[in-house]
Amino acid sequence: MADHSVLDIVHLKKSFGDHEVLRDISFSVNSGDVISVIGSSGSGKSTLLRCINFLEDPTNGQILYQGKDAEKLNRAVYHSKVGMVFQSFNLFANMTVLGNCVTGQKLVLKRNAKEAEEKALYFLEKVGMAPYRNARPAQLSGGQKQRVAIARALAMDPEVLLFDEPTSALDPEMVGEVLSVMKDLAEGGLTMLVVTHEMGFARDVSNRVIFMDGGVIVEDAAPQEIFTAPKHPRTREFLSRVLG
Amino acid sequence: MSLPTTFFGWVSLILEKYGPLFLRGAGYTMLIALTGTVIGFLIGLLVAIVRTIPVSGKDHFIKRVGLKAASFLLNVYIEVFRGTPMIVQAMVIYYGAMMYLGLRMSALAAAIFIISINTGAYMAEIIRGGIISVDKGQKEAAHAIGMTHWQSMLHVVLPQAVRNIMPSIGNEFVVNIKDSSVLNVISVSELFFVTKSAAGTYARYFEAFFIAAAIYFVLTFTVTRLLRLLEKKMDGGKNYTICGSQSASDAVIKIEEKEA
Repeated sequence: MADHSVLDIVHLKKSFGDHEVLRDISFSVNSGDVISVIGSSGSGKSTLLRCINFLEDPTNGQILYQGKDAEKLNRAVYHSKVGMVFQSFNLFANMTVLGNCVTGQKLVLKRNAKEAEEKALYFLEKVGMAPYRNARPAQLSGGQKQRVAIARALAMDPEVLLFDEPTSALDPEMVGEVLSVMKDLAEGGLTMLVVTHEMGFARDVSNRVIFMDGGVIVEDAAPQEIFTAPKHPRTREFLSRVLG
Repeated sequence: MSLPTTFFGWVSLILEKYGPLFLRGAGYTMLIALTGTVIGFLIGLLVAIVRTIPVSGKDHFIKRVGLKAASFLLNVYIEVFRGTPMIVQAMVIYYGAMMYLGLRMSALAAAIFIISINTGAYMAEIIRGGIISVDKGQKEAAHAIGMTHWQSMLHVVLPQAVRNIMPSIGNEFVVNIKDSSVLNVISVSELFFVTKSAAGTYARYFEAFFIAAAIYFVLTFTVTRLLRLLEKKMDGGKNYTICGSQSASDAVIKIEEKEA
């Protein structure tokens, strides 16, 4: 596994008015990393992802993509390289499943219709949603929608995929189908940064776990370290709360 | 020739003599209402798009000031045209253009112009509401795969916004069919105007306007039904096909949803 860094987050800060959500975040995402970001609600995990993706403008600090300042890169190029999967799926409601997966390729990557469609079907197949290519988002279950959203992101050939609590809006029986797709992707070598409450995924699938609290990274280590021998008392307290 | 003595006698006499005139009046009414609604929709779209361009502190000074100024002017336009009666706007514009600009518009052109900008002012607010009503996650998802503001508006937000406001657009169309009657003050020969002439010959106002009322109702009722059909079409099929299965790749399952 090559381990040159794909993303470097450098002294990232984000405030909403007086409220400082991210205090000073620095870490690197290396190629092939599957990083789980855990922490209680309000710890800044989602804001961190949204800043990396520029859905929120960072107040301070830098994001480097392949060593270059991401803010100075062409937005379309950066966004196609750093994809995002949302908690609430956000499939385009006015398009079919296939439409969702080809539109970005055509508009942003300027792929022709045939190429875009082949690519879309390849990834829809991969997440088990190819049979539903003609359905509309409103006709799908939550788990199916999220799998389509993952295919849509993959069709852009991203270097890194950001997951913002991808299973939090799902009924319990649908969590498994989405996690298993994510596990397959991780095993396939995709670089992933996953904000999650699924401790099983964090422990078993990721190679690094970042624990955030109060807008800072408290601990950043391998999962076996975090889950068996957490160094920081705040990590211990959080884990004892969520693992029961 | 002896004149009729009953209501139906008068109605059939008026229809016999002025039937073609009524039809032409109805045609003009539909032409004015339809063109006015379509152009008004386009004006409203443009205004709403300009007013929803996102501005951040990082944008260039000129862009920020330009957008502020444009937004102010558009607000004035909306307030003025929503805040004054169309019948008054018609007089002011038609005679103002004639007396001060030396512009002698044909009555029909003037009518379409007036109803278009009037409708535009209402549409701007309706469409802005439609844009706001689209879940902001849709736009975020579009940005997250690299679409620009314009691409996300054109391909994701506006199609959904327009679908959501179809009932309001239909409403505007129906209102325009009826309210174009006030444009008789600038002598455009729409349905109300021709009814007045038809009624005047025998001074049978009740019968003539009864006919007009029936025609107006048929027009609006038909338009409402047609728009309903259009909405259904925009929703796409309720049915979809599941293609292929593990054992047979060309298998097809049709899923049909029952009407709610």
